[in-house]
Amino acid sequence: MPSFAGVVLAGGRSSRMGTPKAALEWHGSTLLRRTTGILGRVTGGRVVVVRAAGQPLPELPGSVTVVDDPREGRGPVQGIAAGLAALRGEADIAFITSTDMPFLHPAFVRRVLRTLEEDEATDVALPFARGYRQPLAAAYRVTLAEAAERLVKEDRLKPAFLFEQCAVAQLDDDALLSDPVLDALDPDLDSVVNVNTPEDYDAARTRRAPRISVQLFGTVAKSAAKAGGLDGPGSPFAVRAATVGEAAGAIGLVFDRHVTAALNGDQITRDPEVPLAAGDTLFFLSADAGG
Amino acid sequence: MPPGGYFGRALVVDAADGTSQTLEIGEPVLRAYLGGAGLGTWLLHRLGPPGADPLGPDAVLAFTFSPLVGTPLTTSAKFAVVAKSPLTGMLTDALASSQFAISGKLTGHDAIAIRGRAPRLSTLIIDGPATRIADATHLAGRTAAETDAAVREELGRGWRVAAIGPAGERGPSGEPGVRYATISHDGRHAGRGGLGTVMGAKNLKAVAVRASARVATADPAGVLRAARDLRERSFGPATEKYRELGTLANLLTFNAISTLPTRNFQASSFEGAPDLAEQPAEPEAEAGSEPGEIAGMRKVARSGCASCTIGCEHIYRVGRGKKARVEYENVFALGPMCGVSDPGAVLAASARCDDLGIDTISAGGTIAWAMECAQRGLIDAPWLRFGDAGALLRVLDEIGDRATELGILLGNGSRAAAETVGSGSGSFAPHVKGLEMPGYEPRTLHSMALGLAVNARGADHNRSGAYEADLSGDLDRFDGGDRHVAAAIETEDRAAVMDSMILCKFLRGVFTDPFAEWASLVSDVTGWDMTGDELRETAGNIVMAKRAYNDREGWRPADDWLPDRLLNEPVTLPSGRVAALTAERLRAMIGAYYKARGLNTEGRPDPAIYKRLLLD
Ligand code: SF4
Repeated sequence: MPSFAGVVLAGGRSSRMGTPKAALEWHGSTLLRRTTGILGRVTGGRVVVVRAAGQPLPELPGSVTVVDDPREGRGPVQGIAAGLAALRGEADIAFITSTDMPFLHPAFVRRVLRTLEEDEATDVALPFARGYRQPLAAAYRVTLAEAAERLVKEDRLKPAFLFEQCAVAQLDDDALLSDPVLDALDPDLDSVVNVNTPEDYDAARTRRAPRISVQLFGTVAKSAAKAGGLDGPGSPFAVRAATVGEAAGAIGLVFDRHVTAALNGDQITRDPEVPLAAGDTLFFLSADAGG
Repeated sequence: MPPGGYFGRALVVDAADGTSQTLEIGEPVLRAYLGGAGLGTWLLHRLGPPGADPLGPDAVLAFTFSPLVGTPLTTSAKFAVVAKSPLTGMLTDALASSQFAISGKLTGHDAIAIRGRAPRLSTLIIDGPATRIADATHLAGRTAAETDAAVREELGRGWRVAAIGPAGERGPSGEPGVRYATISHDGRHAGRGGLGTVMGAKNLKAVAVRASARVATADPAGVLRAARDLRERSFGPATEKYRELGTLANLLTFNAISTLPTRNFQASSFEGAPDLAEQPAEPEAEAGSEPGEIAGMRKVARSGCASCTIGCEHIYRVGRGKKARVEYENVFALGPMCGVSDPGAVLAASARCDDLGIDTISAGGTIAWAMECAQRGLIDAPWLRFGDAGALLRVLDEIGDRATELGILLGNGSRAAAETVGSGSGSFAPHVKGLEMPGYEPRTLHSMALGLAVNARGADHNRSGAYEADLSGDLDRFDGGDRHVAAAIETEDRAAVMDSMILCKFLRGVFTDPFAEWASLVSDVTGWDMTGDELRETAGNIVMAKRAYNDREGWRPADDWLPDRLLNEPVTLPSGRVAALTAERLRAMIGAYYKARGLNTEGRPDPAIYKRLLLD
């Protein structure tokens, strides 16, 4: 089985936004924190952030690797080259994205990665979604690092130059949505919607947070039941929330040291900034679960 | 003068004739081992002949008390029982609570060690320094609770009794009882490792104690102050789970996060968990009940051990007029582990184990293994199917009766049974060192995986609480490494102190600086000027003393390991994650554990340790 990693290109001048996109607030978290969290869910935590040398970043989980790109600002291929180079020997396939896609869904990432997983002869899985090629929501073999670096040296900085040199599988809307999970959770392929201007950002923020399911266990359930309204342990109810902290807030739960959360029954966390996506199930547990 | 809280002596009884001697225990030993599990370990080193058959007359069975027993400190009324286990051939120590602890200590002894074998089924009677045995053949076949009542009836007021059920007694031709029999007092069990079998092998049906001595603490005012403070804290959020829900609340939680071992570890969550958490039952229990897992099955009472302000015991109705204490571990072992989702059957099976006097975890684990063997055609019992409630109750009866080949086989525990059955069935026998696994899935709890593998008593969640780290959200539970090793050591050390000084582990959450706070409690009682650092070292020494005992009794490096299944068969979570614990990872964590504990690369203690641990 090939191993996966995520790469987030956090540099770029954000000139049209007027303020660094990475640090933009997003439901109590930041856009960059969100993107790393979404990728980490698919890649088992392996995520690299490529930034301009010395660029300040919002707070990120300790598991995220940050690499400086000394020649930042020279376009996507430079970022792709830096990200892939950082993953040499660490992973086989990388999903590379920018930090400005707030609706990126893990199911989209999984769908794109699967193309390379299933077809060893392909080097790049390139979505053609919502009418555009999406080189910054695509999967690349880590072995492309050299080709990308060479292009940078030659000053040929458009992704198209890279695609000329390798085997690319283009995934149109239908191909993407042939994945029933993606079709159910992100039918409009909002995963590739990016925010470039303050207007984009404002519009994105007015969208309702994803619909998720929350279940409570242990003393957390007990106190919620006492407080009234909620059903007891294990019974699911729907809320809209883009982060764990927002979900806790939505049900009036104080997410303090007595409470932990498990996303889809997987990793256990105390971090309120863990991002949520449509279809998620979030468990709130007593921090002292166990005998 | 012994230090406060101690008598400075143990009573050593010969079960053959009821005679006894006093063994003086010097202050250095008391300070190094505290009491409870620690002192019991020292006694076993000191009195148990190396290589002795755990079920032979030379074997030692020690009831040990502690400096805190009898003080007003909440949850301190506990005693430890320590012996060489007939399941593991290594040290086992189990704790039980209530008045037996206080009366046993106030016989004037820090420990009661029993050797020898009574000529026939007997009660050992300890009235202060006076000891004797009395015929108990009329109690043969009685449950521990019945025996307790009968002995108290015979002896009159003021007696406290620890007893075994029928499964711990020797059979008609003198063969030993079920290897995982328990010793019970007031409905609480020294449950793990077959201590009841050891007692039964000595032909002792019961041990009765009566208080006759007094013991002072060094600083009564200080103890009282500490007791008031602890009592206050015991009402706070750190113990809420135990007070409000009991440990059964774990069932749905563990199911949700794939840490609920199911069908002999073939899965890590159980589709029947919601059914089990929701007891069917009796209309009157439903009225005014609270929602959710305790709906319908809402307990009819809550109670607790003597001297406890938490009161974690949740009593449920089991059937017409019958009630039972329900804990996560017994529901796990007899429910999901055996694939059984009928709550009535699980509670009935649990009650049956109590009546027989056998450990529910070992019973459930061994039966689950047998169900898998039957499924694979390795044993000839096609009726013994996962999920079949009737089969569960039937096989428990066979184990208790010891009349059928299957019952006798399963009465030996999963390790011995797998050795008999062969055909690779050992690879899925759910035990470590011969002790069946508790309800914590190692593949999704990597700190706990290490804790279970290296523990001296075998697979056990009370001597290693490393799952706490896994569930804390502070580390990645699927990616065991150095931090998991440190967490496993820390919880092992904490358990060693709590089990020795003794305080109930359910109180652990109220301490913010545990070793320092515990050292202060011990100092108030004993008059020592103990520091947190000293107590931390004491903890590590107790853990090492247990390991040294096992080493003496034939421990091999391969004993610190987990069942093959857990290392070779990953589990897939609903999130899509494939959770695996490879042999390579486990080996790396064990190596780091040995290093941190100062053991050699094989895991053996340095011979010089015997001197340091006062074992030479
Ligand atoms: S918390 Fe429970 S087990 Fe502990 S002493 Fe109290 S009643 Fe006994």
